[in-house]
Amino acid sequence: MSNRIDVALTINGRLHNLNVRPDLTLAETLRDELNLTGTKIGCDDSNCGVCTVLLDGMAVKSCAMLVGQADGREITTIEGLETGDGLHPLQQAFIDYFAVQCGFCTPGMILTAKAILDENPKATEEDIREGLHGNLCRCTGYVQIVEAIESVRDGKYGEARA
Amino acid sequence: MRFEKYFVPETRQECFALLEQYGDKAKVLAGGTDVIQLLKSGALKPEAVIDIRKVEGISETKITDQGLALGAMVRLRELSLNEALATDYPVIMEAAGHVSSMQIRSMATIGGNVCNASPSADAVQGLILMNATAVIESAGGNREIPIAQFFTGPGKTVLKKGELLVGFTIPKPSARTGAFYEKFSIRGDTDITIVGAGASVTLAEDGTVSGAVVSLASVAPTPLRMDAVEKMLVGKKLTPELIDQAAQAASKSVAPITDQRASAGYRVEMVYVWTKSALTKALERAIA
Repeated sequence: MSNRIDVALTINGRLHNLNVRPDLTLAETLRDELNLTGTKIGCDDSNCGVCTVLLDGMAVKSCAMLVGQADGREITTIEGLETGDGLHPLQQAFIDYFAVQCGFCTPGMILTAKAILDENPKATEEDIREGLHGNLCRCTGYVQIVEAIESVRDGKYGEARA
Repeated sequence: MRFEKYFVPETRQECFALLEQYGDKAKVLAGGTDVIQLLKSGALKPEAVIDIRKVEGISETKITDQGLALGAMVRLRELSLNEALATDYPVIMEAAGHVSSMQIRSMATIGGNVCNASPSADAVQGLILMNATAVIESAGGNREIPIAQFFTGPGKTVLKKGELLVGFTIPKPSARTGAFYEKFSIRGDTDITIVGAGASVTLAEDGTVSGAVVSLASVAPTPLRMDAVEKMLVGKKLTPELIDQAAQAASKSVAPITDQRASAGYRVEMVYVWTKSALTKALERAIA
């Protein structure tokens, strides 16, 4: 008997019907089955946060989820933030505030930031830092990252946060 | 990570049938945040994973005049942000909120935190402090057990083959009850608890203690409820001196291990510090 399972994942607005082994994580599925390599795998034990994606709008760690758990749900990866009009405000802010050094933590940071601001558009610096608790940056620290997120919160990049 | 079969039962009967059929070869998956890491490391090697997220009637939070009913699949983040719990059950919210990061709490569940049976589990402490009862079901019937008696060792519980933890019932606390849980760790909530200490205090009209719960995390093979310390408090006025004596008694009665996070001796000292703090804050809340 086949041990594969059928899953329907809506990723960045597009429905993907996949027939996959059940013992893949969502992170592995995104990277290896769908070539969406913007989602990183770092520690692979749910500490570092580089694998963060949005699941029905909530930030989750895709290395700590089986592909079957995402069946029928909507997933946003870093590839889904850019629109025809250009980069998402958070992406532009991370560039402008130099909130990137090696860049490995950046997709997870930006998606976590989006979850924080979507839930609480008035998030304070403390709220932002608390929300980022599960995302590690090992290059340079968090000051510019927090500043970039605050600039988007403060409307420096317009209202286009959706 | 390797397993062969993945089931998503939608009824309890379907779930019980799978648990019967696969027995030890199946692992129940709630949020998965602990189980998946154990699957990756090879600590768990099941043939089948049973994802219970669609099982009916185990994902709800119900508040009644009698108390609170929590389904096993209630997510910790949902619990930690549920303002309807703030009046009577704040320690349930806070303890759930101390588990790891936002991303993990979005997936992790209260039933999963219990069944993972880690001595350091923070959300479990809220349940112990509020006198929760675990509701266990199987094809053969139901049983209930006080949460503090649910754990038999690290990663081990009273659950038998074919049984599923479906939720918890928590009695509405009496007037003048206050509870507080202290998590002590190096890197905040993302880090594993070095020592956790909780206290719940109910005061009689004359201000003496009519009921108390003292609980500890990360100092024994299971979460601990400190019955002897609780007995020291009941019937007395909770003075700073009595709080100090109770914290000393708690500290003297634990035998924690040394691991990479802290030495046994340090943990013993911290039990004193944090039990004292938890009792003091629980009392403040009981009076407020």
